[in-house]
Amino acid sequence: MTVLRIILLVVLQALLLRDVAPLGEWTRPQWALWALLLIPPQSGPFGKLLAGFAMGLGLDIAMGTYGQHMVAGTLLGGLLPTLHRVLAPREGYEVTDRPILRDMGSPWMMAYLFLSALVYHLTLLVVSQWYWHLIPSAFLPALTSAIFTALCCLILHLMVYAPARRKSGN
Amino acid sequence: MRNLWLLLQRNAFALAFIALMSVSLSVLFRNSGAARSSWYRQTGSVASRVEQQRSQWSNYLHLSEQNTELARENALLRSRLLSMEITGDWQVDSLRGWEVREGSLIKGPDGTPHSFALASPGEDGAISPGMGVLASGSAYGTVEDVGEAHCRILTLLHAAARWSCRIGRNGPLASLTWNGKDMERLVLEDVPRHVSAEAGDTIFTSGYDLRFPPGVPMGFVLSTDRPSGSDFVSFEVEPAANFLTTRHIDIIVSRSDSERVELTLPEEFP
Repeated sequence: MTVLRIILLVVLQALLLRDVAPLGEWTRPQWALWALLLIPPQSGPFGKLLAGFAMGLGLDIAMGTYGQHMVAGTLLGGLLPTLHRVLAPREGYEVTDRPILRDMGSPWMMAYLFLSALVYHLTLLVVSQWYWHLIPSAFLPALTSAIFTALCCLILHLMVYAPARRKSGN
Repeated sequence: MRNLWLLLQRNAFALAFIALMSVSLSVLFRNSGAARSSWYRQTGSVASRVEQQRSQWSNYLHLSEQNTELARENALLRSRLLSMEITGDWQVDSLRGWEVREGSLIKGPDGTPHSFALASPGEDGAISPGMGVLASGSAYGTVEDVGEAHCRILTLLHAAARWSCRIGRNGPLASLTWNGKDMERLVLEDVPRHVSAEAGDTIFTSGYDLRFPPGVPMGFVLSTDRPSGSDFVSFEVEPAANFLTTRHIDIIVSRSDSERVELTLPEEFP
């Protein structure tokens, strides 16, 4: 399922959503990230690492970026186990917990999406600019893009995993 | 052995991460010019210091061969001088304005399709990217990137490079490339079918790439391949520069370079 999700979002991002950036470089979302972030926290670290690498490889092939997304995806995939551990609830994850709003709650979800997007965008910033003197000027756009990516992932999330409606009293 | 296996097992995730990151970075450096250039600027000075030390030893060991080669070159020049009759004074052509700066090679191409050569000086010797490089009077490559005291050279033996040249001093234009296999064989491509060339004919720079003056030897035709049904043919060429033994290079700079570069820039319309 994760593989299918990654393929679908990589294709969608490369073909349709590539130029969806309302404020140019300030809001350049990475839609495919959502597929990676849906990997359950209980799954093994190798799966997360390989998924990150595969997502980056797919994006690089589809968008012709030659290694930039591979580096960012591998780094995020490698950091996901740590991120899951850091954000884990005090009593740990339930076996059935999935990284969705319904299971983990909104504060966890917001922090998770934003931190992951920030890691990904900052890595992309470094590998696309390379020269130290160019990085400070590109830091703010990377930060705002990370916020925008987190928002986009949240919107996708709400579309696919709509919160359960409360039953009315009548 | 068992302990090693246990150690590997314990650090399997870190090793897998390093392996995948290395693959990703190698793809990035191989394909992104900016990444490669930045990496070179940051690590080039260390790498070149090591290579310089190694080449000092190598130079010392090759002194006798270089002396022999210089003596042979001197004899050839002297014999040419003796058989020439100078009838007038030498005149400086101010329009040409090429200047040669001496440099020494630290590392030559290693025969892999995308290898580079490393040389000194760099910015400290007023070297800048785009300058042509000669070895024993023959075309060797072009300066691709410059560090503080060293420069990286894209040689004729780089599979992605194409060099503008002529067959003979006034012959037709063609492109010289390398197929990444044999260091002694370059390929002259896009030669019109009607062009006749014999083995031993010299290939010269055209001067159109603004890196070399026209008429610098690049190689010698070895064999001609004329496939039927094609409008263009390709020739096998032996490089004139010796990429295995070269130690000293000449970096050429056009004194009127800024004017030429300015004139080749695309015109801007309001």
